[in-house]
Amino acid sequence: MSQATLQRVQSTDLYDELEQEARQHRGSGFALMFLYSADRLSEMKDAVRGYVEQLSASGAQVREDAAMRTLAVTLPGYSLDAAHYEALLLKQLLEEQRLGEPRITLAALTEPPASSVIKQMAEATRLSTSSDIYIYTEQKSERGRGRILIVDQDAAVRDFLHIRLAMQGYETLQAADGLEALDLIVKWEPDLMITELNLHGIDGLPFIHHIQQLAVKHPPKIVVLTEKRVEQTISQCFESGVDDYVTKPFSPVELDARIRRCLQ
Amino acid sequence: MTAIYYVMIVSALYFVIMMLSFRNIWNISRRAAYSAYNTLSGSELVPSVSLLVPAYNEELTITENVRCLMTLNYPNYEVIVINDGSSDDTLDVLLKEYELEAIPNPEIRGRLDTQRIRGVYHNPQYPHLYVIDKENGGKADSLNAGINLSRYPLISSIDADSLLEKDALIRMARMYMENPEETVAIGGDVRIANGCIIENGAVKEVSLPRKMWPMFQSIEYLKAFLGGRIGWSHINGLIIVSGAFGMFRKDYVIAVGGYRGGYPGEDMNIIIKLHRYMLKNKIPYRVAFCPEAVCWTQAPDSYHILSNQRKRWGRGNLKNMIENRDMLFNPRYKVMGWLTMPYNVIFEALNPYFRITGLLALLGYVLMDMTNWHVLLVFGLVNFLGGYLLSIGALLLEEMAFRRYNKLSDLVKMLLFSALKFVGYHQLGVLWRVQGHIQYLQNNNTWGTMTRQSWKEKSKTA
Repeated sequence: MSQATLQRVQSTDLYDELEQEARQHRGSGFALMFLYSADRLSEMKDAVRGYVEQLSASGAQVREDAAMRTLAVTLPGYSLDAAHYEALLLKQLLEEQRLGEPRITLAALTEPPASSVIKQMAEATRLSTSSDIYIYTEQKSERGRGRILIVDQDAAVRDFLHIRLAMQGYETLQAADGLEALDLIVKWEPDLMITELNLHGIDGLPFIHHIQQLAVKHPPKIVVLTEKRVEQTISQCFESGVDDYVTKPFSPVELDARIRRCLQ
Repeated sequence: MTAIYYVMIVSALYFVIMMLSFRNIWNISRRAAYSAYNTLSGSELVPSVSLLVPAYNEELTITENVRCLMTLNYPNYEVIVINDGSSDDTLDVLLKEYELEAIPNPEIRGRLDTQRIRGVYHNPQYPHLYVIDKENGGKADSLNAGINLSRYPLISSIDADSLLEKDALIRMARMYMENPEETVAIGGDVRIANGCIIENGAVKEVSLPRKMWPMFQSIEYLKAFLGGRIGWSHINGLIIVSGAFGMFRKDYVIAVGGYRGGYPGEDMNIIIKLHRYMLKNKIPYRVAFCPEAVCWTQAPDSYHILSNQRKRWGRGNLKNMIENRDMLFNPRYKVMGWLTMPYNVIFEALNPYFRITGLLALLGYVLMDMTNWHVLLVFGLVNFLGGYLLSIGALLLEEMAFRRYNKLSDLVKMLLFSALKFVGYHQLGVLWRVQGHIQYLQNNNTWGTMTRQSWKEKSKTA
C-alpha cells in the first residue's frame, strides 16, 4: 500500500519537515534521495511520483523543493544498498523517458541529521556535475568551514576546485583574472585563496605583493597552485609570504591537506 | 611585352611560395593544437628570454604595453624598456606606474656601442622589469643598449605599440627548443589590432578594423605573413623578421655586431647580417617563422602616417639591398644569393619601375593603336585574378589553421577588401615606394612621424 503525496512547501520548512520525519523513523533505517534537474523539474516530478507509487514500501514520499529545483524522496525502512538499487532503477527510468541527465544524491541516515545538513545535501545535488549517483556522507559536511577564493584562468580547474571544496563545506567564489581577484578579496574577505600565478591583468609576484598591501583586516592565506615549476619563482614566492606552493598537475588529496593545515 | 612576362614571373613565384605555405600549414595547425604550452610555460628547461622594448615618445601606449608584457605565460624572462630620449613623458609615466628607482651602479655587461645611458631603473617588487633611460639614438641604438643590459641567452625585440598574446613567447620558445643549436632567429606573426577590443593589456575580442587604411593593411599583413613567410622559412630564405616581434640568439646578434644604427630597416638588416655570417662561416643555421605566435600591432590609420611608414620601408629596403649587393647571385650564399636577394631586388625594390614602364608601354600601345581592347582586358583580368587568388589563398590558410576571425561578416569583408585593394591601394604602394627611393637619393635619414593613439581610445573609436 503506497501513498505518495506531493506538497508545495516553503523550502526552509521542507528541511525541517524532513528532519522530523527522519527522527520518527529513528532506528528502523531511513533513506533520503535528492534529484535535481535544471530545466525539466515538473516532468521529472511526475515520473518520479509514478515510480514511487508502485513501490511496495509504505511511507515513501516525494516532495518538491521549488527554490533549489530539487525533488526530495524519502524512503523509510530502506538501507543504503536497497535505496541505491531503487535509485539506479529510477535513474534508468528517467533516462529512458529522455528527461535529461538527472543529478541524484543519496544518503542512508542512521542518526537524525540537522536540517542544515539536509539543505547542504540538496545543494550538493545541484552542484554535482556527474551523472553518477552520489552517495552523500554526513561526515564531509561537518568539516571546518571557511571562505576560499579560487583564482585561475582555466574554467575547468576553477569548477573542479569549487565542487570539491563546496562538498567539504567550504564557501567558495571564483575569479578568472588578477584584477577581479583583488576586487573580490576586498569585498568578500576570504580566509584563504588558491591562486594560479599566470593570470591576465596582473600576475606573478606583483600580484602577491598587491594582495598583501590590500586594506583588509585579515589578509587571506595564499596557496599558490600553478604550472610554474621554476625554483627561483618558488623561493621568491615563499619569501614574499605565500603560505604554500603546489604545482600542477596536483593531487587533490594533497591540496585538501595543505588547505586544512593553512586554515588551522 | 616585358611587362606581361614580368607579371607572369612574379605571379608564378608568389604561387610557388604560397604552395610551400600550404604544404606546411597542416603541421602548423596540428602543433598549435596539440602542444602542451601550459606545461611548458612552467618548466625550468625553457631558456630564459630578455624582452627588449624600444620606446620613443610612447607615453600613451607604454603602460598598457608593459602591463601586457609583464603577464606573459613564460617561466623566466625579463622586460627591458629602453626610453630613447623621448621628448614626452614616456619615462615619467613608467617610473610612476611601477614606482621605479634608479639603480646606483647598474651592471652593464655588453660591449656594443650606444649613446650614453642616463640611468637604469628598477623596483624589487617587479623583479623582472628594467627601464633604461638613454640619449636619443634611434631604434637600433636602443636595442643595442637593451642587449648590453640583458642577462639571458635569448633576446626578443618588441615594438612599444604592439601587444603579445599571452602564449606568444612560449610558442616561439617551443619552436626554438626543437632545434636550439641551429635556430638563430624566429619571427612572429604580426596582426592588426585596430578594431579589436583591448582590455588590461590583452586582446579581448578580435574583430576587423572599421577604417579603410587599417583594413587594407590587415589583408596585406595576412598575405605577407601567412602566404609568404611560411613558404620562405621552409626554404630558409626569410629575409626579414618583423621588428614588431622576433626572437634571436643573443650570441649571434652580438657576433654580427648588433643592430645597425642610423638607418631604418634595421629589422631586415640584422637578418641579412645573420645569414651572411652563418653562411660565411659555414655554420648550419635556420631563420624560422612561427605563425602561431601572434603579436597585435597598431596600424597607421591615416593616409599621412601610412605613407610615411611605407616610404621609410621603401628607403630601408633599398639601402639594405645596395649595402648587400655582393650577395646577389653569389654561390657562396646559397638560397640567399640565388633566390631571396634577387627576388627582393627585382620584385620588391625594382617592382615600381617595372610596373610604371609596363604601364607606360601599355599606354603607348594604346595611343599608337597597336593593340585591341580585348587583349588589354584579358591582360588586366589575368593580373587581377592572379593577385586575388593569392589573397584568397592567404585567407584560406588563416581559416585552415588559426581562425582568429570567427564572424562571417568579417570573412565577407576580407574578401571584399582583397578585391578593392587592386583599385588604388596597390598603386599607392608603388607611389610610396618610389617616394621612398627618392628620399634615399636625397639622403633623407629621418624616421618620420608616427603618432600613437592610446589603446583605450583605440578600442572605442576604431
